[in-house]
Amino acid sequence: MKRRSFLCHAGALAGTAALGQLGSLAVSAGTGNDYKALVCIFLAGGNDSNNMIVPVDTAGYANYATVRGDLALPQAGLLPLQEAGGVLRYGLHPNLSGLQSLWSSGSLAVVANVGTLVQPLTKAQYLSTATQKPESLFSHIDQQHEMQASIASVSSNTGWGGRLSDQLAAMNLNASVPPMISTGGNNLFVTGAASQALVIPTSGSFGLNGFTSSAGDTARRSALESLLNVDQGADLVAAAENVMTGALSSSAVLNPILTASAPTVAAPFAGLTTSIAKQLLAIAKVIEARATLGAQRQVFLAVLGSFDTHTDQINQQGSLFSQLDPALTAFHTAMADIGAGSDVTSFTLSDFSRTFQPNTGGGSDHAWGSHQLVIGDAVKGQVVYGTMPELALGSPDDEGNEGRWIPSIAVDQYAATLSSWFGASPSALSLVLPNLSAFPAAPPAFL
Amino acid sequence: MLCKDYGRLTAALAASMLLSACGGGGSSGGASSTAAPPSTTPTTTPPAAAAPTVADASRLLEQATFGVTASDLANVQSIGIDAYLAAQLNVAPSQYTGFSYTPHTAPSTCKSDGTPGDAASICARDQYSNFQVQRQFFIHALTGPDQLRQRVAFALSQIFVVSNIEIYEAYGMADYQNMLLKDAFANYRTLLQDVTLSPVMGHYLDMANNAKTNAAAGTEPNENYGREVLQLMSIGVNALNADGSLQLDSSGAPIPTYDQAVVDGFSAIFTGWTYPPLAGATAKWNDPINFDGVMVSVAAQHEPASKLLLDGLTTSANQTPEQDLKTALDDIFNHPNVGPFIGKQLIQHLVTSNPSAAYVARISAVFANNGQGVRGDLGAVVTAILTDPEARGDAPTATDYGHLREPAEFVTAPIRSLGGQSDGVYLESASAAMGQPIYGAPSVFNYYPPSNLLPGTSTLAPEFAIANAATALARANFINTVIVQGGVAADPTVTGSTGTSIPLNSFAATTDPTALVAQFNQTLMHGSLSAQASAIIASAVASQNAATPLAGAQTAAYLILSSGQYQVER
Repeated sequence: MKRRSFLCHAGALAGTAALGQLGSLAVSAGTGNDYKALVCIFLAGGNDSNNMIVPVDTAGYANYATVRGDLALPQAGLLPLQEAGGVLRYGLHPNLSGLQSLWSSGSLAVVANVGTLVQPLTKAQYLSTATQKPESLFSHIDQQHEMQASIASVSSNTGWGGRLSDQLAAMNLNASVPPMISTGGNNLFVTGAASQALVIPTSGSFGLNGFTSSAGDTARRSALESLLNVDQGADLVAAAENVMTGALSSSAVLNPILTASAPTVAAPFAGLTTSIAKQLLAIAKVIEARATLGAQRQVFLAVLGSFDTHTDQINQQGSLFSQLDPALTAFHTAMADIGAGSDVTSFTLSDFSRTFQPNTGGGSDHAWGSHQLVIGDAVKGQVVYGTMPELALGSPDDEGNEGRWIPSIAVDQYAATLSSWFGASPSALSLVLPNLSAFPAAPPAFL
Repeated sequence: MLCKDYGRLTAALAASMLLSACGGGGSSGGASSTAAPPSTTPTTTPPAAAAPTVADASRLLEQATFGVTASDLANVQSIGIDAYLAAQLNVAPSQYTGFSYTPHTAPSTCKSDGTPGDAASICARDQYSNFQVQRQFFIHALTGPDQLRQRVAFALSQIFVVSNIEIYEAYGMADYQNMLLKDAFANYRTLLQDVTLSPVMGHYLDMANNAKTNAAAGTEPNENYGREVLQLMSIGVNALNADGSLQLDSSGAPIPTYDQAVVDGFSAIFTGWTYPPLAGATAKWNDPINFDGVMVSVAAQHEPASKLLLDGLTTSANQTPEQDLKTALDDIFNHPNVGPFIGKQLIQHLVTSNPSAAYVARISAVFANNGQGVRGDLGAVVTAILTDPEARGDAPTATDYGHLREPAEFVTAPIRSLGGQSDGVYLESASAAMGQPIYGAPSVFNYYPPSNLLPGTSTLAPEFAIANAATALARANFINTVIVQGGVAADPTVTGSTGTSIPLNSFAATTDPTALVAQFNQTLMHGSLSAQASAIIASAVASQNAATPLAGAQTAAYLILSSGQYQVER
């Protein structure tokens, strides 16, 4: 990437965000009347969603418990998800009580069996060598890549969050920070054709140390910045310089926001110390400052890892859900507290779900389609969208006989609903999700 | 960030590298290398070589050590690159010492209670975290005579990954890394077996206590190690040509090296092994966690059925765990992907992110045959990587050449080159802030994947997967601490702690700004800093208070070390 393209994607920040100009940015801020944010919560390692959404009817639970064996959650602990009209089919994992409350208040939807697909796929088609299937199924890195790309090939080099940001760049012309921000490191999801997320820390300072106002330090700082503009002929040198250029301008704007003493959004997070809580608090701080920052469409990414539960699945996933639930709940409250409850939609993605059949080590192995959660006051909640797989080994939804569900909703369709809500026009949508037309069914209408 | 697009890259890479790689044309460094395998084996007498140039010798040490020192540079110039590498292959490992078995669950008297320096906290820190192992890593990297071994073992630790997220016991991580140090120049087949039977890997990827199919319970063997040993540690997911490019089928699609049935086969192979018994105990199924020694077999828990392995090979039913293990590891070892898959990654760790296809092919050939008919000789592979024409020369010119210094190298090289010292405490926290906690990758997929691309390009750049605004500032702030702020004081809770410091007094004696910058340029980056950058830095030096000469040296060192040109080793 050459410097010019970096400046292009960085928008107005390079021109306006020199040190000490925060005040002037507030003057030129957007109206705040039209703001939306998408927050992706990536459950890295492959979340065993068979134990996130569990049948609670007598026959369904009995079938679940028979196959899952030691991995079966006790029926009594499952948190009922009563659907509109009084139907009760499923329960939530017992450690997701905050999410159950959001369900009850209509701010949580479940989307069933989402995954990577080239086209709608039956088992017979899957077993036919003539049918196109996603590349490198059941591999962490490749399936993460494809879920974040919404393209079932490992050769894509942009993510759908990135392409969505690219398409809505006109909404962010007054932004003083990049339109995508990650608290979970560099990821394909937040990589566009010419843009990349700003990665921010979730604790400590986000600034450059060691410069006073002395003449000597001023000269050193000036030289530091001058050096970022030379010797860009070598690709990697230019890339390193461009990362630093973005860091200097963005940190000048964001450090005061991230280190502010008592933002409104902090209160719901009181007492929460986990990584995912810190990440979502940092994101909440940025959203609270949306009028100051001037962006009208922001894409965020937070990552919670260690879902690769090949052993000790019950305890490990239980622990992770105990971290996730209060963090998501606090974030939802924080958004409501700043009047952005309907402007911010959070949603999950994961590498894949895990085998319905347990392994001999008290865990489950890499699988395919997985259930997702969508949270926000714009969500048409209390609904399970899509079709749950038939939970039987070797069933028509199982690619083999270990319980790897062939997805019934492509990640492309899931992303389409989120992207359309975010503001992507039909023509933009075809650029964000180039393979969407392979799926004739309407995207799930959870927004 | 997670691309694996070898195929699409190959054409572009080949084109660019053919035109502009091997920038050492005309340098005596180029003449000193032995290009064509298999003559690169160090056990043959190298041809008489001209002394390498200062720049090429310095570049060799940037690739082969944790930082160029004046004494190493003089040595390489004196004895030549081939002799230096041959000697390095024979230096005994600087090993992790002072650790011994601790139970997996910490005793109640040993906990992190937030009181720095009390006995309970030190027990938790020193025995139930990797703190002391990480500290020793940096001490070895800074002062060990086995520099090449340390570099290669660290590269191997990023291919055969275990992480302190699960291996928190210091003695376990020490055992595992000592094994990698021992095997750094051994045969790959030896390494593969040592990794497979390591109880540390057994714990990390669940081969320890992996039981056979239990039809009554409806369970099947754990697939964790069976899958990842194939995907990450040996052959990868798609068939490769010897030059590292993807093999494609008639429709242009990559050809998978294995499918789920083969993963099931290897998962069944890796059943029936448990932790080594504790001293005085008898081995039994579900032995408690113990990282000392190698795993032991329990035949009754080994899957008896025949297993499907690579390329249609099936094992005989009812083999012992040991027989099955040999069959399976030989099957992996002899797969043609191993040379290009492992060789290319080692090139990326040591020399350049974007090796030409021809470079990869030359290394694959050495992996296949070290010149004496031996496959898998890692010492010969490392030697070939570092003596290849594409590695050598004074100034490579390909625009995609080189690699971003990984954090561990970024924090050690200035200390070695400028004559500083550290006890490793600050270096670990600094490296972690830059995205590389030592032996603490977030998953078995390492800190960054070898397939990572610069955003929006087809340029491979593994280390850039952890290069972002937060880590870029962390790099500059580290340089500020050690160069401008005078370093970090000793930690009174750490026995023998010396803190971290880099004295610049000897440089402060040079008062002419241009001469000062040139001196740092030679010392830190083999004189490769551009004239334009040198002028910018010299101007900043000239603006410092002349009454405090140290300020000039600090300014020059800070600006060079935080620059993109320094951070990308070329």
